[in-house]
Amino acid sequence: MIATWYAIAGFMIILYLVLDGRNFGAGMLHWLVAKTPEERRQVVAAIGPLWTWHEVWLVAFGGTLFAVFPKLLASAFAGYYLALFLILWCLILRGISLEVGGHIDDRLWQGFWDFIFVLANALLAIVFGAAAGNMARGVPLASDGTFSMAFFTDFAPCGYVGLLDWYTLSVALFATVALAAHGATYLALKTLGPVHDRSARYARLLWASVVPLIVIISLESGVVRPDLLEHAIHNPFWWLGLLLVCGAAIVLVSGLATRREMRAFIGSNVLLAGLLATGAAAIFPVVLHSTLAPENSLTAYDVAAGPKSLAYAAIWWPFGFALTAAYFVFVSRQYAGKVSVKHDNEGFY
Amino acid sequence: MDTLFSDPAVWSRIQFAFTITYHYLFPQLTMGLAWFLVYWKWRAIRTGDEKYNQAVRFWAKIFGLNFAVGVVTGIPMEFQFGTNWSGFSKYAGGVIGQTLAMEGMFAFFLESAFIGALIWGEKRLGPRLHFLAALAVAVGSWLSAYFILVTNAFMQHPVGYRIEADGLLGIDSLSAYLLNPWAWVQFAHNQSAALVTGSFVVAAVGAFYSLRECHPTQAQLYLRAGTFAGLIASLLVAFPTGDQQAKMVGNHQPATLAAMEGKFTGGSNAGVAVIGQPNVRARRLDNPIEVPGALSFLAYGHFGSYVHGLDDFPKDQWPDNIELLYYSFHLMITLGTVFILLMAYANFQHWRGRLDSDKWLLWVLMLAFPFPYLANTLGWMTAELGRQPWLIYGLFRTSDGYSKVVSSGDTVFTLIGFVGLYSVLGLLFLFLVGREISHGPAEEATAGPAAEAPL
Repeated sequence: MIATWYAIAGFMIILYLVLDGRNFGAGMLHWLVAKTPEERRQVVAAIGPLWTWHEVWLVAFGGTLFAVFPKLLASAFAGYYLALFLILWCLILRGISLEVGGHIDDRLWQGFWDFIFVLANALLAIVFGAAAGNMARGVPLASDGTFSMAFFTDFAPCGYVGLLDWYTLSVALFATVALAAHGATYLALKTLGPVHDRSARYARLLWASVVPLIVIISLESGVVRPDLLEHAIHNPFWWLGLLLVCGAAIVLVSGLATRREMRAFIGSNVLLAGLLATGAAAIFPVVLHSTLAPENSLTAYDVAAGPKSLAYAAIWWPFGFALTAAYFVFVSRQYAGKVSVKHDNEGFY
Repeated sequence: MDTLFSDPAVWSRIQFAFTITYHYLFPQLTMGLAWFLVYWKWRAIRTGDEKYNQAVRFWAKIFGLNFAVGVVTGIPMEFQFGTNWSGFSKYAGGVIGQTLAMEGMFAFFLESAFIGALIWGEKRLGPRLHFLAALAVAVGSWLSAYFILVTNAFMQHPVGYRIEADGLLGIDSLSAYLLNPWAWVQFAHNQSAALVTGSFVVAAVGAFYSLRECHPTQAQLYLRAGTFAGLIASLLVAFPTGDQQAKMVGNHQPATLAAMEGKFTGGSNAGVAVIGQPNVRARRLDNPIEVPGALSFLAYGHFGSYVHGLDDFPKDQWPDNIELLYYSFHLMITLGTVFILLMAYANFQHWRGRLDSDKWLLWVLMLAFPFPYLANTLGWMTAELGRQPWLIYGLFRTSDGYSKVVSSGDTVFTLIGFVGLYSVLGLLFLFLVGREISHGPAEEATAGPAAEAPL
């Protein structure tokens, strides 16, 4: 039961990161792929109507985590205090710049909100990347199951670590590049004209630079957490995730090479999801690894809610998910195809 | 030196109070306005009268701005449970996490999937699907209110829980938890109050156009709908929902009721103070003007019923801000009464055919819209200050709930960040909504052939 809930919670946060990750990536590249105000509206329209829908996955993940792993939520959210607020503020700025940017047809107004939009998206990718690095590296968890972490200490990934050190920074760099590549792949699918051509070029360039970064991150992870690989090879889901990553990489490369944009985008989604799932499988059952003493680490079994709470959640969650899947069909049919920017109220602004 | 601010929970309390108060300014309008949109879209389909579609188009834009600010200010709320209230999250997450997760799964997905269709999908979807989108958004927003109010009701009046082997709370009966009688009463009261806000805002825009002598058809529509719904909703807020809510407090939180009323000594035939200042140190209400027997009757149904005074309870069970609680409650009641009188008069003038021509009334209606926001906020202050010193009434104290690992320095830092960000957000929102209102409803659908041409 607890392992299933770990998988469900993992599925939800991975889905969020893959869905909203395309927006982070597209947002970061906003200035590079779109030069004129009209082109920039195209990027905004590609993200526009769906950002709240994507963000709800984060809210639903937070709620589910609260319901099934309350002790994890309590320990991790208080410990990651400043990082979480940075994420929240960036999410506020990202959403607001999207919503208000198009409200006034004025170069200065739109230029200002475009800047906020690029900044917020880039910071989101960096902080989420650093957070993923923290999950792998561990946090200075004390024996009472709590921790408190500075933004940075001495940049070494052991002992009293901070949010940022050389390892988590390199994961953040990797995440930023990978999400930018993901966003470029999405924009190539959704746009036409010069924005499309530039996005397609960036997608190929960025995915090519993801490859050496994956190698570097994997080697670094081996140094920082030598125990992880030994542990992971006994987990069949880790192998499954690896298989997914390889399959997705083939689909992505063939999509990029043959300019089949949908194929490339599917590959890009599955590739990111596979990478995250591989990570989640590798650390299981530990959900918070202690850099101070391994015995302080918290496992999914330590942080789960009572059996009856888990059983109740298992009853309603599938219904909620089935409904959500139905909305997903509606949403994707509503917004399928290339975006068009019109000055009536049908295109996004 | 022991000061108020050396209490480590205080900054987390101020931060949560600030962010939730600010956040709730937006959903209350969303929830009130949603049913106006549903009603007008339905009328548009039934009558084929274009003025209803025009109204939907105009208000959907304001709804959209409001919804966006509601979303971005709402997400921090969920996360602050973990960041600032980790003691509470750890203790009660097995229970309250259920409804917070359900809110995401059953309400937010519904709302966010259809909000785009409501605002931008009129032509693409056709009238019937567009109506369904409006309905989906309205149902989603009210469902989310229900899940949040179940969560709050558990903190006010815990039911359906059990204490697990590790000493933390878990769900014992999901149906008991979801059907908490406190939640139903609070839902009815709170949703009526949201309708009051929506009605006052709609009526205020109608009065504004009417006084400016522009958009006459729309002005009339907004005035009529706003004042009619406003009267019904204002009445419902007071009776039966407000009355039931007070009885609930009287039965389950007698110390809270005593503090709300500034009642220090208990007794039968207890009165309601219309005016008076609580003097907590001297344990009395200064300069009171009382309606004798009213409190006994309102709270327990008989003039002779005994109403507890604060003296009947040990001091560590008194709400810790009696003054603010007392004034919040009394101001809310006063405003609620004024709302009923104003809306009753507006409907009377409509009946006499003078709603559009009574300049004094129109001025008052135009300027009255901030007050329901104030009354809603005061109501929530009454509920939340009244719950103190408990986080979960009778079960878990606020002083045990905050995050012990987070320093006050961190909390003050993030509080300052929120104040700054939300100030900018507020100015921006007022500017953009003001702009939409001064542009006014578009006179005809933007479906002309010129608009179809791509840019």
